[in-house]
Amino acid sequence: MKSRPSDPLGRERLFANLRFSGGCYLIILPTLALLLTFIYLPVAWAFLKSFYAFEVGGTPHYVGLANYVEYLTQDPPTWLSVLNMFVITFFNVAVRMVFPLIIARLIYALPRERARYLYRLAFLIPIVVPAIAVQLLWSRMIFADYGLLNETLNLLGLGAWTRGWLSDPHTALAAILCIGFPFVGGFEVLIYYAGFANIPESVNEAATLEGCTGLSRFFRIELPLVLSQLKLIVILTIIGGVQYFESILVLTQGGPGFKTMVPGLWMYYNAFSFQRMGYACAIGVLLFVMILALTLLNLRYFRSTEDLQQGTA
Amino acid sequence: MTVCIDLWAVGLGSVRAAPSADKNRVDAKYVIRFSPGAQYFPGTAPQGVGKPLHGVSDVIAAFEQQFPDTRVEVVNTPTNREYLVTQLSGGAAPDIVSVNVEDVWIDVQKQWYVPLDRFLEAPNPFVVAQGRPDAPGARQWWDMFRYQAVTRGKQAPDGGNYCLSLDMVETAIFYNQTFFAAHGLKPPQTWTEFIALLQQVKGTGQTPLVVNIDALADWGQDLLFDQLYYSLLPGIDLKQDAAREAYLQGYLDPDELAVLHGHGFFTARDPRYVEVWRLLHELAQYCNRDLSPSTDIVRAFVNQQAAMVWNGSWMVGRLLADRDLGFDWGVFYLPQLTKADSPYASGVPMCVIGGVGNQYEITNSALADTDSTLPFTTRIARSARLRRVVALLQFICLPENTAAIVNEFPGFIPNINGVPVRAELQPFEEILQRRYTTTKWVFTYDLRFTDILRRMLMLYLSDGTDLQDFLSWQERNVDTATANFIRRKHPDLPALEATWRRLAPVRAGYIGLPPDPKP
Repeated sequence: MKSRPSDPLGRERLFANLRFSGGCYLIILPTLALLLTFIYLPVAWAFLKSFYAFEVGGTPHYVGLANYVEYLTQDPPTWLSVLNMFVITFFNVAVRMVFPLIIARLIYALPRERARYLYRLAFLIPIVVPAIAVQLLWSRMIFADYGLLNETLNLLGLGAWTRGWLSDPHTALAAILCIGFPFVGGFEVLIYYAGFANIPESVNEAATLEGCTGLSRFFRIELPLVLSQLKLIVILTIIGGVQYFESILVLTQGGPGFKTMVPGLWMYYNAFSFQRMGYACAIGVLLFVMILALTLLNLRYFRSTEDLQQGTA
Repeated sequence: MTVCIDLWAVGLGSVRAAPSADKNRVDAKYVIRFSPGAQYFPGTAPQGVGKPLHGVSDVIAAFEQQFPDTRVEVVNTPTNREYLVTQLSGGAAPDIVSVNVEDVWIDVQKQWYVPLDRFLEAPNPFVVAQGRPDAPGARQWWDMFRYQAVTRGKQAPDGGNYCLSLDMVETAIFYNQTFFAAHGLKPPQTWTEFIALLQQVKGTGQTPLVVNIDALADWGQDLLFDQLYYSLLPGIDLKQDAAREAYLQGYLDPDELAVLHGHGFFTARDPRYVEVWRLLHELAQYCNRDLSPSTDIVRAFVNQQAAMVWNGSWMVGRLLADRDLGFDWGVFYLPQLTKADSPYASGVPMCVIGGVGNQYEITNSALADTDSTLPFTTRIARSARLRRVVALLQFICLPENTAAIVNEFPGFIPNINGVPVRAELQPFEEILQRRYTTTKWVFTYDLRFTDILRRMLMLYLSDGTDLQDFLSWQERNVDTATANFIRRKHPDLPALEATWRRLAPVRAGYIGLPPDPKP
């Protein structure tokens, strides 16, 4: 074997690189440690504990796959709650793909920058209102027995249509879906607006020269160029939809009966009310798998702007 | 059993003592965290109406004067089990919490709560220090409690007492007297009259009765259950514990209910059980449409959108303090069922469904001065801190201190002998003289049982499902809950089964018993 000539410059470069990257690693180390401690370890712990039956403060007993089997085959709320979750998720995906996109496009079309700024601000301000306050407003002022909706119907002589919107088994889920109307979240509007604003001016000019205007321009030119933003919102909405339960906890607690139950809420009840921690962990693991699968499907089949530009699908 | 009592530093408490000047001193040997519950929390007005409360802080100030090495921090804590479980498992709960003791029973084997028996069976040192040997509490702390039956009925299934019952509460139907007078209505004497009254009110366009699902699932179920099963008790009360019977008068415990369920009770084949839910459904037809707990039933009543509200005595203070209330009001108790209402009616007056109001439990935080690896009983015996925490409760039980807290507003009936009951609560005190309920279903089994019962009952009462489907759910719910109970608590089933067989001749004359799957 031939000995390598000494290379003081190369070694120095290596040490310099190490010093530089070492410093970077040192900087991200606390974040990494916190991430490990508060995210990855609990996830691993939950996965492990899903094979045990245990209460907080009690002794765990290994039960193998019993928690999974019970949840998937014996627990009465399981499939209704999964169905509710899909309904809520797909509804949310649909409305978040449409209404904020329309508003963002309308703002983008405004001729004056100041007007665009003011409208963006107007749609962004409601973000600072806590979600819980919004939900309680809907629950206690709009949907209540003597709330805005019922009293308006009474005024219009439509008293027969009045009902407990959140407690009526036939309307509870629909009432939950309606919360947030007109479904124009400031976050989504901003994301879509950023997408429109990033469309190169040359593309707009070319479209104008070619006579591509109105809806045709929107669907053929602009929409493909904001697909990355749409994809992001879809992924975030799906993840949020599968994890979603706080609003339902506040509004209906999953009732009446199990009409508005979702897996996340049933997991919460099992963990903290019924103290079936192992069982709740099993539900959590299944939700994780579901989110992963939906996200992978989305990544695989939902084309982004970059995919289109590269001609891949 | 040796009981350590701090007699040396005890004197007569004065509730009007000025708060200690060094309230925020950091050198206190004992810092006790006390959650007195939302009803008595200093600085708040009961139900959000009226003057801010100060009774608890006055009593604490007097306690701190007697024990200069002690500081009591008043903390406001949620009462839901989620809070309790997380705080207790983390060892961060207040030393004294105020929760329904039934929520405590489930976890007593985890040694999260301190049994109070050894202290209750000993003299209250503050009474002893007053030099009145005949005064209640001079011999046993237990003797200070006025409602012995209900108070001792709070004994946990393991035989221990984990709560101090400071006051009593009872429910009633609050009604708009002005509305009743204008329409020629009067409080009913029977269930038939009650339903007729509700129909009359509905005819005027008003909501007859506002209530939430918890009241129907808890109070409503138990009252109707008692009405229909009371006459069966000689043949189905399987546990003849002489000591407890004196207080609980035939109360059906979870193990008894489990055995009865095995013999066909509380199923779709049990006509009385079916009748309980049919009658509740009949009542719900005259109630607010939205039965969920978030519905503000008090608001509906005070705004005169509803003629009646089923609520607890805590509402009295709120109504009296409301200067804008534009009507007179009164209360009546739910009337009894007759044979005309149900062939299974026992024909007895409605029983007591309320009982203990604010219940104080001492948590394992009070033992923080002991080695956590020691046996629990040893920790209890050795902890000086625990004795100081217990002393605070003993001090609160002095009549003058209880009066300062409980009688500060008309909402609860003092459970300490020698404390007068406020005149406004007289109707509730009369109700409390009645016989105690046969059982309390929502507190009988685990919380999953209660949750499913509550949500499926709400679905049924909202016409989201029919009686058969509801009964199918409920039967499976009782199946699971009794099986879990037997697995966790290991009750003496053979003894109960033996009693079941022995009582067969008594049951021979009963009508409407369910078919026994294991005769």
